[in-house]
Amino acid sequence: MLSVLSYGRLVARAVLGGLSQTDSRDYSLVTASCGFGKDFRKGILKKGMCYGDDACFIARHKSADVLGVADGVGGWRDYGVDPSQFSGTLMRTCERLVKEGRFVPSHPVGILTTGYYELLQNKVPLLGSSTACIVVLDRQSHRLHTANLGDSGFLVVRGGEVVHRSDEQQHYFNTPFQLSIAPPEAEGAVLSDSPEAADSSSFDVQLGDIILTATDGLFDNMPDYMILQELKKLKNTNYESIQQTARSIAEQAHVLAYDPNYMSPFAQFACDNGLNVRGGKPDDITVLLSIVAEYTD
Amino acid sequence: MFPMLTLLSMFYYICLRRRSRSGTRSEVLNSRRAMESSQRSLPLSVEVEQYAKEVLDFSSHYGSENSMSYTMWNLAGMPNVFPSSGDFTQTAVFRMYGAWWEQCASTPLPFRRTAHSFHSQDYIELAFEEPVYPTALEVLETYHPGAIVQILACSLNPFSQNPPADVRWEVLWAGEPSKAVTPQARQFSPSIKQINFATNLIRLEVNSSLLEYYTELDAVILRGVKQRPVLSLYKMPLIDICDLSDSEEEREAAEALAGKSSTGNGYFDKLPYECYSSHLPSKPLSHDSSLIQLIASHLTLPDLCRLAQSCKLLQQHCYDPLQYIQLSLQPYWARLTDTSLGYLQNRCTLIQRLSLSWTGNRGAVTATGFCSFVKACGMGLVCLELACCHFLTEGCMEVIAQTCPALQELNLSSCDRLHPQAFAHIAQLTSLRRLILYRTKIEQTALLSILTFCTKLQHLNLGSCVMIEDYDVVASMLGARCRSLRSLDLWRCKNLTERGLTELVTGCRLLEELDLGWCSTLQSSSGCFLQLARRLPRLRKLFLTANRTVCDSDIEELAAHCPALQHLDILGTRMVSAASLRKLLRSCSKLLLLDVSFCSQIDARMVQELSALFPAVSIKKSFTQPGRPAKLSNRGRRTLAREQRERGD
Repeated sequence: MLSVLSYGRLVARAVLGGLSQTDSRDYSLVTASCGFGKDFRKGILKKGMCYGDDACFIARHKSADVLGVADGVGGWRDYGVDPSQFSGTLMRTCERLVKEGRFVPSHPVGILTTGYYELLQNKVPLLGSSTACIVVLDRQSHRLHTANLGDSGFLVVRGGEVVHRSDEQQHYFNTPFQLSIAPPEAEGAVLSDSPEAADSSSFDVQLGDIILTATDGLFDNMPDYMILQELKKLKNTNYESIQQTARSIAEQAHVLAYDPNYMSPFAQFACDNGLNVRGGKPDDITVLLSIVAEYTD
Repeated sequence: MFPMLTLLSMFYYICLRRRSRSGTRSEVLNSRRAMESSQRSLPLSVEVEQYAKEVLDFSSHYGSENSMSYTMWNLAGMPNVFPSSGDFTQTAVFRMYGAWWEQCASTPLPFRRTAHSFHSQDYIELAFEEPVYPTALEVLETYHPGAIVQILACSLNPFSQNPPADVRWEVLWAGEPSKAVTPQARQFSPSIKQINFATNLIRLEVNSSLLEYYTELDAVILRGVKQRPVLSLYKMPLIDICDLSDSEEEREAAEALAGKSSTGNGYFDKLPYECYSSHLPSKPLSHDSSLIQLIASHLTLPDLCRLAQSCKLLQQHCYDPLQYIQLSLQPYWARLTDTSLGYLQNRCTLIQRLSLSWTGNRGAVTATGFCSFVKACGMGLVCLELACCHFLTEGCMEVIAQTCPALQELNLSSCDRLHPQAFAHIAQLTSLRRLILYRTKIEQTALLSILTFCTKLQHLNLGSCVMIEDYDVVASMLGARCRSLRSLDLWRCKNLTERGLTELVTGCRLLEELDLGWCSTLQSSSGCFLQLARRLPRLRKLFLTANRTVCDSDIEELAAHCPALQHLDILGTRMVSAASLRKLLRSCSKLLLLDVSFCSQIDARMVQELSALFPAVSIKKSFTQPGRPAKLSNRGRRTLAREQRERGD
């Protein structure tokens, strides 16, 4: 029965493919990550892919490649809570969900929602909050499905131009949407958005498209044109060159973040909001750089 | 005539036995020959190593039904935690540990004549990709190891469409309940018995009664060869005389033989026998026969069946329905079939307590077989245990409801394949005292009608019933109708709020045990726990597991109003301090269990201190090992504690 179905699907796909001239090959993402924690411990990757308070994951399942970044909100340090614990656990949980196939590629908000509710199932009383961005590539349909909550985000670059990007979600200046678990005494006082509030989008990708997923540490310090300039240096789709480019982007953002005279996108945005700010924005930086390539087993 | 017949059939039986044995003997010879030849050539098959592919069935778990934290499904696939030790979400955790649950009033009495070798409390069944002849089996136990008491393999391939003619379960390994010296992770690799069929269905049975905390299992590795290993045949398994089905056919023959004559038993005939089934149990029995009956009453069921084969007199004693007032077939789950139930039917006419828990899966017992047994023997049933009986259908529940008017205890725990509509019939059992619906698909309407009619309920377990939409309605119904409720388990009910809890504790003032573990919608700030403490003076067990809002004032109120408190679980709250715990320990002198795991203000040193001061209390503090993210949480906790100390000073 199953085989009949799968043959049927193959035939249907062949016919459809013949009609619409689309690519019947499966795509996948070749992804490299790089990042810097704010406190100068260069590129130190804590267990479970954490850069400072940022966390990320790269996971694959049989039908999809999934990436995610999360930026733990630093304010929790004042409560004696390590902000990376929340973002790190969130990302690790999402990674497990993907690896165990407990997700629908076309519904990345579902990954975020389930991941968040799993955090509440932990015996450890987790505290903290985090922004999150999930990017899913459906291998067969070549569609990129994304969910974004807060000010992390992604860019899709094709032929040197940004063809698709995430929308930033902010309550007010420098206060992004965030998933959070607050202590009972602070309930209501802490910003907490439902994972369902995440902004989701779908986009058809082509072979060779570059997808850059990063936390606000990158986007606050590097304007698009600089990112595109770096991406131009990327010539082929092997992992090493992607890794190199990811590193040089992260490094550059890291340098700019500590440049007091540099007019960063963040500083510009602050000026627009009536704040006189100059220089970069020292922050944790996480960069996931992916290229859409043909799927090879 | 009759002695002739006896002799003939005995001879026939001996012949049968001989033939079956000689058959196996020739197999042995063959295998020996095969082994000799194989010794000359290279080894034929390579060992395959595989992790579990799928979790098929289990009796209980700690986690939520729709979650992947602490659920049994975590046992499938690669290890997530091993070789680290500690209390992690990614592992499989059972619902219970230790002897705490056995001390509770809600726990039913154990069944008489349960074999001492039967220790299993919980089980899990795992399917692997490839059927193999097992050579080794490893269980990665990552926290408080030692619970596994039995490992079994099944001849049925769960992924194959055509099931084998007979589904056989073979014990690969069995042991006593134990406790490892440390709670640290270990790889449990018992030496397993070789079996003569390929298997990809493994069952683990556990007993956590000796453990200090929940055991956590990470993964199971099955090693084996695809081709039948010659060595395994060489070690021929002994003919299992305990085999219930085997003795059954003999007994059938014996039954046919018995006829009505009373000769041929030698001196045994001189022993008196009365047919007790015609007597009222209250009537005094003659000494000798009551002695035989008394002796027989201590035998396990297979022994009783074997004794019945020895002579006709003893057979009459062993078949006496008075021997079957209470019967637990749970230890024989692997062998119980419709046929064996049919044999027992005649003997069980006076049965009052019956346990069919774990039995009859994969078609061994059918709904029809069960129904005909209940119709024949159910009249006097007081207690019926049907945990994990996946043969149950709505029709079965209807038959139970109609034929067992006196039923007081019904356990349907983990019957998660039973259709929601089936539960509506329970409402007809108006004398119910104890009802276990843990992990079932009961819906609100059915439950409300049960609560309306079964007003004598004393013990009710609604743990992990995911289909109930509004627990507040259920709780207020309980408060209004079931005033004699003594224990209530609402473990992981998703939406109980202070409204429902208030009505519950106002109505059910006799409550002694209340499990509100993982009911995260209860907010301490509403004062619901204070009210609970004030209204339930008889409270002996209270689980507020993972309610992050439980605070000092709640604990102090418990200390002031609940002197009978024995078990308290407040895992995972940041708001309880050592001072209030001290107060609690001082005033609740009967306290035995106090779980303060992941309570961020209570560190390990404090637990040590309190344990030294109150040695009678077992104070639990679970841990996640350093090197994992939990280390950070420890640091966070410490800073928080320091802050509070400074603030306090």
